[in-house]
Amino acid sequence: MVGFIVAIAILMIIVLSLIGIYNGLIRLRNQVKNAWSQIDVQLKRRHDLIPNLVETAKGYMKHEQDTLKGITEARSKAMGAGSVGDKAKAESELNGAMSKFFLVVENYPDLKANSNFLAVQEELTSTENKIAFARQSYNDQVLFFNNKIQMFPSNVIAGMFNFKENEFFEIEDEAERAVPKVNFS
Amino acid sequence: MDCPVCKNEPMIVLELNEVEIDYCLSCKGIWLDAGELELLLGSSTETVEFLNSFTSDDITKEKTHKCPICNKKMEKILVIGNRKVRIDKCKYNHGIWFDSGELEDILGMRKLDNKNKVLTLLNDMLGKKIKE
Amino acid sequence: MWELIRANKRKSLFLFFVMGICLLVLGFFIGGAYAGDDGGFIGLFVAFGIWILMSMISYFRGDSIILMMSRAKKVSYNVHPQLFNVVEEMKLAANLPVMPDIYIIPEEAPNAFAVGKKPEYCAIAVTAGLLERLNRDELQGVIAHEMSHILNRDVLFMTFSGVLLGSIVFLSHVFLRSMWFSGGGSRFRSKSSKGGGQLQLILIVVALIMAILAPLMARLLYLAISRKREYLADASAVRLTRYPEGLACALEKISLNNYEMKTANKATAALYIANPLKPKGMKLSNLTSTHPPMDERIRILRNISHGANFIDYQNAFTSIKGKQNIIPSSGIRERKKINIRTSTAASTQTKSTKKSTRDLGDLMRAVNKYMFLSCACGLKMKLPPNFKKDKISCPRCGRENHVPIAELAAMSGMIAIDEKNDSIQNNEQVKQDSFVYNRTGKGWETFSCRCGSPKQLSPAFNKASFVCNKCGRKIEIKGP
Repeated sequence: MVGFIVAIAILMIIVLSLIGIYNGLIRLRNQVKNAWSQIDVQLKRRHDLIPNLVETAKGYMKHEQDTLKGITEARSKAMGAGSVGDKAKAESELNGAMSKFFLVVENYPDLKANSNFLAVQEELTSTENKIAFARQSYNDQVLFFNNKIQMFPSNVIAGMFNFKENEFFEIEDEAERAVPKVNFS
Repeated sequence: MDCPVCKNEPMIVLELNEVEIDYCLSCKGIWLDAGELELLLGSSTETVEFLNSFTSDDITKEKTHKCPICNKKMEKILVIGNRKVRIDKCKYNHGIWFDSGELEDILGMRKLDNKNKVLTLLNDMLGKKIKE
Repeated sequence: MWELIRANKRKSLFLFFVMGICLLVLGFFIGGAYAGDDGGFIGLFVAFGIWILMSMISYFRGDSIILMMSRAKKVSYNVHPQLFNVVEEMKLAANLPVMPDIYIIPEEAPNAFAVGKKPEYCAIAVTAGLLERLNRDELQGVIAHEMSHILNRDVLFMTFSGVLLGSIVFLSHVFLRSMWFSGGGSRFRSKSSKGGGQLQLILIVVALIMAILAPLMARLLYLAISRKREYLADASAVRLTRYPEGLACALEKISLNNYEMKTANKATAALYIANPLKPKGMKLSNLTSTHPPMDERIRILRNISHGANFIDYQNAFTSIKGKQNIIPSSGIRERKKINIRTSTAASTQTKSTKKSTRDLGDLMRAVNKYMFLSCACGLKMKLPPNFKKDKISCPRCGRENHVPIAELAAMSGMIAIDEKNDSIQNNEQVKQDSFVYNRTGKGWETFSCRCGSPKQLSPAFNKASFVCNKCGRKIEIKGP
């Protein structure tokens, strides 16, 4: 009788801890998903800010219509991009156009002193940072998720329920992270 | 912050050309926070000398006031030039109180005010005509 | 990774446990000293009761008590957009589920702290002096440090250990006082004469020794926990921002400050990023401080060379302080290389001392609910919230100015410009009755809508128009 109770108890403990591990994995997977969606949110935010920036700059930069047009075009391209590959390409083009713009701004002290422009600039700087930090956080979450999947005992559960390792967002190197450098010192 | 003289009378802050004073509308006294006087006069040797020359005057019978920031009794400082002016300074260095006209007097009698710049601004701020 | 850090708390928990034992033993002996060996258990229960009660209070009301004590005011986005942006950046980096509430403390001393039982419910408070002195990267470092405290659940832990320490100090204080006033324990002597005196006397002596030693011991334990957590938060901040120099510069600027915080006290000191109380003694402070020495923290941060991972901080730490584990081993195990980023060098225009003193003053006044009027003659008048007249004649030109005092005190936050417009009456006539407000400068400005409700614009307000949340009128803002 006692042996039976002990066996039941042990079984219960095993089942409960399995459920715990499973729930933990689900939670981690959701965190990875959430981190990924944050990147999209921030990219969209940048798209929304650009018309504002162009509008503010227009009056001051009569001779730079090409640069402004370049940004606007890169933006609409990035917004229309479908596949992940296209998107990455369009976004990096947009980065290029923005860097060029911020280089040119150096020649317009009036624009740099404009309080509207300063406000938009702060927003853009911040959005660039947010994109970078969202990627960083995504990678952190993926790293943790993948570790969990590889480690015992969670790897058993992961195998049973077909949890797959996620890929890193691999452009976290210097060149890509140096998103348009908004620098006005 | 309430006026140390009129009590219960809130002081207002006036700012003109980046110069800022706390001002009592009813007694027209001026409060300068710690550091504001230096900011006003600049850091010339005369200013530093002037600020270091402060000594407490405990013989006077003039009514003492309480510091509007820490609510502790302020000490009297005697400033001597062609006239004598007694100002109130917080012992804990929270600032200085000038009764109406005292700040202008001090600016006038010591060579603190380069080309009367501060005096002109102060008079302008308080709507006073500049004495010729 | 954060989860691992969080899971590895055994060491801190052990110290906390020792402190708890300290309290209970103290209670036992004090009770014994009063009423013999039965009293011991009564004392134990009383001590336990005090501990539980105070912990409950601090758990459920702690955050709001701390925020109230520091006079921090909750602010909205427009008051300081950069602060909000930086907090959001760190929120993303830390994968925090919600955006923390943001408070500004109207004080000149640069400092900051965070409160929050859990990441889902937390707040970050910074002083006005901090905002005025730090550039973007530095502010980011400070916010990341505070965010790490939230992630590592330091706030909860420090509050609980603080409460424990408080209980121990309180108990021994009461005991020593009562011994003193009862004339060296005459009450006890009279009791002991009835018999069983020997044991009673021993208990009194032990209780006395305990009452003197326990607070000291508990304090040292508390400080040890607190300092270790500061280092860990620095390391996590580097991990989050990938830019040790930002935090290092910020700490440098903070340590150069000469102001003491008026609203901080011994109970809350451990929460701040830098010790808000200026130590009176000199060298002894290293042992008795809640915070590690600033220059050491800065040197460690500057010594980080290879990357922004925990192992890199640990290496930098070891090279300066010698072998001592600051980072839980689970953090060290993570070997993936993380590059330090270069400065994003936000636009820091160097302001004149005068200008920054004015800006700082105005920010503090705005937090303290001042009204900002600009007379047509150009004089700016800043009225305290206890200014009760509805008219003021300009001291410069004599013009009468209207003071929008109505309901200003009731204004939640500081900016009356609410993004939500739920209470608007559906009055078509009013809606068409828009008007233009001309800004006179770039500073804070207060004016009233035609319906009488006060509006305050911050220097950062940059929209062309907004809708009054009271009457629904559209108010156009024309810049200077």
